[in-house]
Amino acid sequence: MSGLRFVNEKAVGTSVLPDEARPLLDGEARFLNDIAFPGMYHVAFLRSQHAHALLRGVDTSRAKAHPGVIKVLTGRDLHGKVEPFRSMPNRFSGGQSVQDWLAVEKVRFVGEAICAVVAEDRATAEDAIELIEVDYEPLTPVTNPRDGEKDDAPRIHDTCVNNYLIKREYERGDVDAAFASAHLTVRRGFRIGRKQALCLEGRGCVAAFRRDGFELSMWMSHQLPYVVRHYLARHLGMAENQVRVVAPQTGGGFGQKASIYPEEFVCAWLARLLRRPVKWVEDRLENMVASTHAREQDIELELAVDAQGHILALRSNIWVDVGAYSTYLWSAGMEPLQTGGLMPGPYKVPALRYLTRGVATNKTPVGPYRAVGRPSASASLELLLDETAHRLGIDPVEIRRRNLIDQDEMPYRNANNLVHDNVGYVPCLQMALSKAGYDQLRAAQGQAPAGKLRGIGVACFAELTGLGTSTPVGPGTLLQPGRDAVTLRLETTGTLTIAAALPSQGQRIATAMRQVAADELGISMDDISCLTNDTGMAPYGFGTFASRTAVFGSGAVIQAAAEMRRRILALAAFLLDEPVENLTISSSVVHTLDRGKTLSLRDMAEHSFFSAKDIPQDLNQGFEVTSFYDPKHGSFAAGAHVVVVDVDPDTGAVEIVRYVAAEDVGRLINPAVVEGQIIGGIAQGVGEALLEELVYDEQGQPRTVTLADYLVPSALEVPNIELHHANTPSGALGGFKGCGEGSIIGALGGIACAVADALRQRGGDIHDFPASPERVLRGLGVALDDAG
Amino acid sequence: MKAPWFDYQAPTSLADALAVLGQAEGDGRVLAGGQSLMPMLNMRIADPAVLVDINRIPGLDGIEETDASLSVGALVRHADILNSDAVRARWPLLHEATTYVAHPAIRNRGTVCGSVSHNDPAAEHPSILATYDGTVVIASAEGRREVPAGEFSQGMLTTALEPGEMVVGVRYARPPEGTGSAFVEFARRLGDFAIAGAAALLTVRDGVCERARLTIVGMGEGPLRATAAEDALTGTKLEPGAAPGLFADVAHEVKATLDPAEDVHASSGFRRHLAGVMVQRALTAALMRTRETR
Amino acid sequence: MAREQSITLTVNGREYTRTVTVRTSLADFLRDHLHLTGTHTGCEHGVCGACTVSLNGRSARSCLTLAVQADGGDVVTIEGLRDDEGEWSPVQKAFFENFAVQCGFCTPGFLITAIELLRGNPDPSEEEIREYLSGNICRCSGYQAIIKAVQAAAAAARGQE
Repeated sequence: MSGLRFVNEKAVGTSVLPDEARPLLDGEARFLNDIAFPGMYHVAFLRSQHAHALLRGVDTSRAKAHPGVIKVLTGRDLHGKVEPFRSMPNRFSGGQSVQDWLAVEKVRFVGEAICAVVAEDRATAEDAIELIEVDYEPLTPVTNPRDGEKDDAPRIHDTCVNNYLIKREYERGDVDAAFASAHLTVRRGFRIGRKQALCLEGRGCVAAFRRDGFELSMWMSHQLPYVVRHYLARHLGMAENQVRVVAPQTGGGFGQKASIYPEEFVCAWLARLLRRPVKWVEDRLENMVASTHAREQDIELELAVDAQGHILALRSNIWVDVGAYSTYLWSAGMEPLQTGGLMPGPYKVPALRYLTRGVATNKTPVGPYRAVGRPSASASLELLLDETAHRLGIDPVEIRRRNLIDQDEMPYRNANNLVHDNVGYVPCLQMALSKAGYDQLRAAQGQAPAGKLRGIGVACFAELTGLGTSTPVGPGTLLQPGRDAVTLRLETTGTLTIAAALPSQGQRIATAMRQVAADELGISMDDISCLTNDTGMAPYGFGTFASRTAVFGSGAVIQAAAEMRRRILALAAFLLDEPVENLTISSSVVHTLDRGKTLSLRDMAEHSFFSAKDIPQDLNQGFEVTSFYDPKHGSFAAGAHVVVVDVDPDTGAVEIVRYVAAEDVGRLINPAVVEGQIIGGIAQGVGEALLEELVYDEQGQPRTVTLADYLVPSALEVPNIELHHANTPSGALGGFKGCGEGSIIGALGGIACAVADALRQRGGDIHDFPASPERVLRGLGVALDDAG
Repeated sequence: MKAPWFDYQAPTSLADALAVLGQAEGDGRVLAGGQSLMPMLNMRIADPAVLVDINRIPGLDGIEETDASLSVGALVRHADILNSDAVRARWPLLHEATTYVAHPAIRNRGTVCGSVSHNDPAAEHPSILATYDGTVVIASAEGRREVPAGEFSQGMLTTALEPGEMVVGVRYARPPEGTGSAFVEFARRLGDFAIAGAAALLTVRDGVCERARLTIVGMGEGPLRATAAEDALTGTKLEPGAAPGLFADVAHEVKATLDPAEDVHASSGFRRHLAGVMVQRALTAALMRTRETR
Repeated sequence: MAREQSITLTVNGREYTRTVTVRTSLADFLRDHLHLTGTHTGCEHGVCGACTVSLNGRSARSCLTLAVQADGGDVVTIEGLRDDEGEWSPVQKAFFENFAVQCGFCTPGFLITAIELLRGNPDPSEEEIREYLSGNICRCSGYQAIIKAVQAAAAAARGQE
């Protein structure tokens, strides 16, 4: 790796102000909906009003005749011409989910696209949609997994027996023996509602056809441009080098923009058909039903402990309502497998068994969303630990201390076969407790404001970030990420361009990579720019998801920078007539260690390109270096959150009065950016724990289709968060870890434990989340159903 | 989410507006603040033939106070209510309730009369008007009429407005001296529509309740005056020690009369329970404030 | 019935006359007709606050206002927040320096709302800031950096007086 004396520590670790944010503050950033071309048409989709129905007929004649309408496309028009989205059958899947881009014979959820209308403007397209007549033959819907897995349940996909899109049993260690010999076994139920990412900007695309150059250019609000490019080419039967995918400025992703959906692919098809640019912008009503949902889990879990509270075994039984289709690429296995497999978190679990299922229902498909599967895995276990501690008569913190994987036990292989190393679970807990003043908080717990019940929750979590190729992704997933590239190019002006297919949705990836490159190369940050969004310009990369981008981008930059520096110094040595060992780079200037001789990168680069004849060819290989980075294994990040809540036992209202978090996210690149990620994750966790829930009725009709009903936290619901760092460098290049997801895990667990702790003071408890006021009151045993 | 077609008229006199509304034969909608109507248009839940934008009509934006009442014109925004010193000082229930209405940008546009006309059962203003024994001033091309607040609401999103009519103002009756008021509301987030709320006016003289007004918000049918509770409170001694028990009894009686609908935020039973809590809290706070006013 | 109407309005100090369909929202007018795409539509039903602009001196949801209603009006959008010298307003500057922007989609509405808050209340408490901004949803930041930025802008503006 890099010679130490070249490493300049100035930029990494500093809260460098992000130039990327400037256009956003001037209203000059270009989001998807800000892109327009002359002659561009607009697309709107007719969506199913039924959860489960056969399509008897679709009459588009009135819509086609409507002034301003260019084209009305039905599923039958596409049938046989494009390849539908098929899940990959595997040894754990019951059958195959096949999703037509536009429904052909059957609709399986409210919001499923049936027709696409192309018109001169969006309002006209929406006018025409109202003129399409669909003849539905309603079928009995499946609206929850426990009913859906019954033998006599209606079948959503012909080949999926019991509606299983995935069902897996895992066991390691002798679980039954551990339970048989345990001092105490404790069992709990935990349920978490359905939610969604709620990016402020919905999905969308502009698809443009052009005869020369790229035949298809797609601007897409998406996290994975290269992956989209591959699948666009494959499904449209095109050569990949004829397709360019650009992720413009993106208004939030959180995983919702990491899947492949039908609408954008329909638009690509339409652009080729019509030889015109077409635009589709998902509006909020569409977004609430057409973009992937998340969570909706029903868990039964049981813990076996010895007399001191040491965990002997953990077993769980998990039902996940995964919706109507196996989300394309990631599969229906995401939530069920991760919840089961990652439940042990940071705790030593010698024996583990889980039976987990993803059951198809007539709801919007469940896909990736920040910290897939782990918040419920963690919160359910944290609540169970609290109950176990209570039964044993020890403090909730004590049972955690006794079970956390200590650093002197690392590397530690847990029963879920994951190896923990370079991570500080105990230091995080210690720091959170001391900063919160935990002992005083407990001592003063009875002194809540009049009429309130005070609860204190402590949650510890582990978060596997930056997964390399050696970390298996669940069965059924169509891709194995783990290698990403960056290209460094020294321009002839001496400035550096970093190109990578690692789009940012606000994580300031460009700034982070500029910081790393500045330190590795000795180039001033002002001389470095970064492109992170365009397959037409960037080398291969999987994109931004799973708390990986900073790890991969930085690792690849470090690798590429080593080669770039070697080339720079070799040429500079020749031009300055000095030995390489005598040279270094700082502030974009190559100089001798004594600064006696200097050569600006600008002069060197200009010379190398415009006046190359006097330079030996082996010293002038071109200043463009691409490097792929694969960290092989993932890096565990960690955290401990201490949450204090006051519960109003009359109304069920929960107020978070104190929130302390200590996190280990490895070496920090830009502390202020990292803090923004962590606090933002906690805010979404506040929503998950207390507010956000997508509700369906028994007919499969969504009841939360506006932002007046789907409640995301405002500035009043998110408390001030006291954030502390307890960082342990990872084993990845640079010592970095991912920081995008972990905090939402701790937030659900911490808040859930705090609410349960408050209720426990009156003999209550809570198993259903979000902890709505009504659930809180029911948890306190308040009789709500008797009139008067 | 683009609005359907409509005809748009922006008359500059009330007479013109009423004429257009009359010609629309019931298929016209008045556009004042638009903070309820525009979402319905964007979602294509509403599809009126004509929008009559009254924002260019002078003289509808007045807040006028007399010895007997407070008049609020059709273009008075929630923000105007909050900015009015007169309202804050002498119509505290109206002020307090308005602090629960939505958020600044919505309050800058949305109107009191629009809220009353829309009659969402979870909205604050219809209930406040009812609590103040208010009157709705209605105009059409045929003339004017006044309807007591209690008769204006005719169920969820339904009012006494006939085709061709619009609300041109509302009038709140001034409560007697010695009246304490309180508005309390429970919503999932501040600014959301109420799951349950209560507005109370208590007039106390020499420790005896002379007059009581109590309205429940959010029970599904528009403003719900708890007249039996008002009668029960009137004439009772409202001494500090005795009140909690009395108010609990009142809340219990009120709850017994309620059968609210469920929605995604609350079951019927939870909504009813909250109504009881809100009634107790509103009465307690109002009583406290009768003492403060002395 | 007339489906189109000519309107004249001032946006960011410049007067525009355009013909629009009467059903066009002010947000779509600003974006599609004037190409001022800094104003964003996040929900088109008035809840998220991303489309908030200043209309005749008061913040308004441009998704809940028709373009024809702004005829004769004065609109300020995010593109009009720099001062006459081209410098950022204190609020823009503070948002930048306090990392109050992540994905940035909500930013236009927050800026307009925060500027309105500070105009009426130059020294707001944290609670007042949180309440005033509670009609604007940010999904990325957890609000903490935004609140810090508004406090910093308030302090900077007071320091200049």
